[in-house]
Amino acid sequence: MSWGDTIMALATPMGESAIALIRVSGPLAAPITQTAFKLEGTPPARSVKIGYYQGVEGHPLDHCAYSYFEAPRSYTGEAMLEINCHGNPLIINRLMADLIKQGCRVAEPGEFTRRAFENGKIDLTQAEAIADLIRAKSDRAILLAQRQLQGALGERVHELVDQVLNLLAQTEAYIDFPEEDLPPEDKEGPLQDLSKVIASVKKLLRNRQQAPLLCDGIKTVIIGAPNAGKSSLLNILAGHERALVSAEPGTTRDYIVERIIIGQYSLQLVDTAGIRESDNPLEAQGIERAIQQAEAADFYIGVFDQSAPWPDLPQSLLDRLTSERTLLIINKCDLSCHPHFNIHPALAAHTKILLSLKTGQGIDDLASVIQSTIENQLIHPSEDDLLINTRHGAAISKAYEHLNDAKGQDGLQKPVELMASDLRLAIDALGEITGKIENEQILDRLFGNFCIGK
Amino acid sequence: MKGILKTGAKAPYDVIVCGAGHAGCEAALAAARMGADVLLLTGNLDTIAQMSCNPAVGGEAKGHMIRELDALGGEMGINADTTAIQFRLLNASKGPAVQSPRAQCDKKAYQYRLKHIIELQANLSLFQGVTTDLIFEKGKAVGVKTHLGVDFYGRALVVTTGTFLKALMHVGDAKSEGGRMGDFSAKTLSDSFKSAGIELGRFKTGTPPRILGGSIDFSKCEEQPGDTKPTFFGFYDTRGDEDLFHVEHFGQSKLGWKPGEARISCWTTHTTPTTAEVVHKNLHRSALYKGDIKGTGPRYCPSIEDKCVKFEKQDTHRVFLEPEGRNTDEWYINGLSTSLPFDTQLEIIQTVPGLEKAHIIRPAYAVEYDFVIPTQLTPTLETKNIENLFFAGQINGTTGYAEAAAQGFIAGVNAVLKIRNETPFIMQRHESYMGVLIDDLVTKGTTEPYRMFTSRAEYRLLLNAGSAEHRLLNHTQRLKIVSNKRISAIEAKVNDTLHWVKFIEKTTHTGGTFANSIRRDPLAINYSFLPIKFNKLSEATRDEILYQVRYKGYLDRDLRQIAKNTNLENIKLPKNFDYYAIRGLRIESQEKLTAIQPLTLAQASRISGVNPADINVLAIFLRAQQK
Ligand SMILES: Nc1nc2c(ncn2[C@@H]2O[C@H](COP(=O)(O)OP(=O)(O)OP(=O)(O)O)[C@@H](O)[C@H]2O)c(=O)[nH]1
Ligand SMILES: [Mg+2]
Repeated sequence: MSWGDTIMALATPMGESAIALIRVSGPLAAPITQTAFKLEGTPPARSVKIGYYQGVEGHPLDHCAYSYFEAPRSYTGEAMLEINCHGNPLIINRLMADLIKQGCRVAEPGEFTRRAFENGKIDLTQAEAIADLIRAKSDRAILLAQRQLQGALGERVHELVDQVLNLLAQTEAYIDFPEEDLPPEDKEGPLQDLSKVIASVKKLLRNRQQAPLLCDGIKTVIIGAPNAGKSSLLNILAGHERALVSAEPGTTRDYIVERIIIGQYSLQLVDTAGIRESDNPLEAQGIERAIQQAEAADFYIGVFDQSAPWPDLPQSLLDRLTSERTLLIINKCDLSCHPHFNIHPALAAHTKILLSLKTGQGIDDLASVIQSTIENQLIHPSEDDLLINTRHGAAISKAYEHLNDAKGQDGLQKPVELMASDLRLAIDALGEITGKIENEQILDRLFGNFCIGK
Repeated sequence: MKGILKTGAKAPYDVIVCGAGHAGCEAALAAARMGADVLLLTGNLDTIAQMSCNPAVGGEAKGHMIRELDALGGEMGINADTTAIQFRLLNASKGPAVQSPRAQCDKKAYQYRLKHIIELQANLSLFQGVTTDLIFEKGKAVGVKTHLGVDFYGRALVVTTGTFLKALMHVGDAKSEGGRMGDFSAKTLSDSFKSAGIELGRFKTGTPPRILGGSIDFSKCEEQPGDTKPTFFGFYDTRGDEDLFHVEHFGQSKLGWKPGEARISCWTTHTTPTTAEVVHKNLHRSALYKGDIKGTGPRYCPSIEDKCVKFEKQDTHRVFLEPEGRNTDEWYINGLSTSLPFDTQLEIIQTVPGLEKAHIIRPAYAVEYDFVIPTQLTPTLETKNIENLFFAGQINGTTGYAEAAAQGFIAGVNAVLKIRNETPFIMQRHESYMGVLIDDLVTKGTTEPYRMFTSRAEYRLLLNAGSAEHRLLNHTQRLKIVSNKRISAIEAKVNDTLHWVKFIEKTTHTGGTFANSIRRDPLAINYSFLPIKFNKLSEATRDEILYQVRYKGYLDRDLRQIAKNTNLENIKLPKNFDYYAIRGLRIESQEKLTAIQPLTLAQASRISGVNPADINVLAIFLRAQQK
């Protein structure tokens, strides 16, 4: 049986594993495999390939392992794509958002299994167990959604639903009760209200997109005196010799950016020139740029050479290195500690890690300390926020489109019944977040706001 | 009368219809026109097809339904057209989807004509008798008892007794039994239903006072003359003489006027702040506000008490003065429905400009009545528990003449199909308002008297009044209630429409395709660039073609959505399915599904509280059972 549409869902629990599996099932699986992994012709079936997933906007989103299955030789019996990406919620969400842009829709609990079943892929003796599984999944999804809707996002969505309901009630009142006891129709009012709603949905969407942690990763600037070991740190975290390392202080001149993944987080790691008073114009310029980078950072890793005296850092920079945003690396623990290595009092209480980037002593914990510092100090994330985001984001974007349709173009007012048709789709889209909004709710609003009836 | 009166178990009818209101008349006519042998029982021959509320037919969504009835072979449209005193196309300034015909009718003429049609109908016996009990045998309904002690037997029963079940009228403190002023109350029937296991609810509705036109000062009122060009309910472009309206075509009495002509005006006035004062002062005497009335009333038909209390800030409310007919001076005061005592009614009416000297000839009253909770019915309107027992009309918790007529038609047709063992007649939500009506009632039930609104139809844009014949052609063809000649005419019209829509989309001229030019200037009345042949089509056909072209984007969007849902519509759920045996379903869903017993997965998905995961689980089990 063909269902016509293509569904998509995360198959692994969010945030619990290093690798995440996203499954896509339906007719779009093949074209998406082609565009995302830049393939010519039909994708090779039933084999694991490695490649960069390219989003519809042309940016590479993640380095993935993927497999394509042609119909009917797949789990669901439809064409399927399985993408193994990094188990980072940010990346997962971006990939899923991209799949939605390409025409997929988020699967309902149990939908993959149901398709598999419909296509005779699952034995009927398994039906009972499968039904239990679907039930459990759906209960969990409902619970998560409810928790989510108690938060700030929920409040915003409920406000939106409320505004759209009012608009719809107003529009419908004049359609269904043209000759009853209504005040004269005000055509401008609803249009203005509609513009307001559109503006607030836009803001909601922009917030979601602009949240740097969601989109570009956490901008992390490595800062310190020359020769402290900053470039060495970048190389270790990147896993390859990205930056030049030498015993010569002032080796790094311009800043270097490298994107890395630590645990669930995507970091945009920036190695900078060591900071000191310099007469060399080129080096001075590099230091200037290092400070600029520091100004726009979400997070700092300060690298200090304990075999040297504590460096002199500008006060403006020290002020930025607050305890929530900073991790201190006390490097070169293989060497003896310099008598004048006295940690600046402003940084004394910050999280620190003592290690040697040269011998590797203490670096086993490096990644986990960075992760926990980010987690506990920087973002206090709620995993559920991220989990629900894709579905919510898709629903809100859909609502946004329909609201814009309702408004019409070029300031020309649409016939009200068409406007109502768009508003209804907008309400349905929001209902994907809040739970289905029944027609009865529109009528309740209508009869609450207007004295209808002879 | 063209049928034979038969009593007793040895001479059963095919279908017995109890009640000759708007539902009962359509049920009996439809069944008889399908060739069944029908008995129509009414408690009072003089109130056949009575408009118990205001003397008007149609309006938003209702007008659409009457068009649909007309397309299928119902009687309401043509009956209203021939007895109307003025017509009005509602929402004329809005798009075609929400334009709807409405007519003020001559109340008595309306009844007389319909009574006469019934008298002339072949296979239909009419008889005056109050139904007191139903006769059941082995869990099936087999007949009715009447107060005369005469029993009638039928293979299927359609009960359309409106608001008459345990009906109680209130005028302030004064209470009297009866479903309508001057009429009786069916007191024993409720118990007969209950003993058969049918669950009843209680609703309330009300009517305003009627006054003498001679006591109205029209100079203080605003005139509503109605449209000069009438918009009829019936489709006359596809009717030949044999399908035409006048009863005199059958060689009987004359109407005396031509439909759409000899208009009579309605008038409007309004309440004043003094009206509200009087209401507030006497609120404690209102049956409604004292708590005497337990039934729920409709929100869209509020009493003047409700209006003044719930919308206190609004200091005037419109009042419509509607003439009840050509041969009477009785006027219906629409907007002043109340359960206040008679002296207060007088005081209230006299605060309204133009009605200072009003002479009330019938007081306003509120009426409470039992209704059958409609989720006990299948989409054919047959009860799930008792085979061959159908319910239709206001007894199912609806209000409105069109709502009643639509149900009557559906129950009548399905009663016949049932006894003939044929596939039931079920319209889907995207096909008609009638389909929406039935699906809402049997799937969701109702918490107040149910009235149709266009906003209840998610595919409203596809359900424009003008396309009723197009939309329902396959059903009209199947039911064959209208003449073969008319079916051919509808087929020709549908083909013309298809042809021209395609032609207009494909053919280009200097400004691109014709379709693009039309969409660019959607308000134009004439498109001179279209071939002369186009302008020779009937106006109704041209309108429909232009509608489909102008609104193409939106109509296509709806059609895509419908196509997506066909999967679910096509998956049938077995009768008496044991939902409790499916462990994966939530208890709430198991309960609801068991109560509603949906026919398809799509219907199941519309039950509130049944979620998509439940539907997935159900689909898997159905599949498992099929293997
Ligand atoms: N003994 C010892 N040497 C180290 C350690 N970490 C780095 N070094 C050495 O210190 C020197 C400077 O390292 P870099 O990583 O280039 O330092 P940097 O901070 O990038 O220096 P600039 O780019 O000049 O600012 C190199 O010779 C490294 O090999 C360590 O833990 N122990
Ligand atoms: Mg360096």
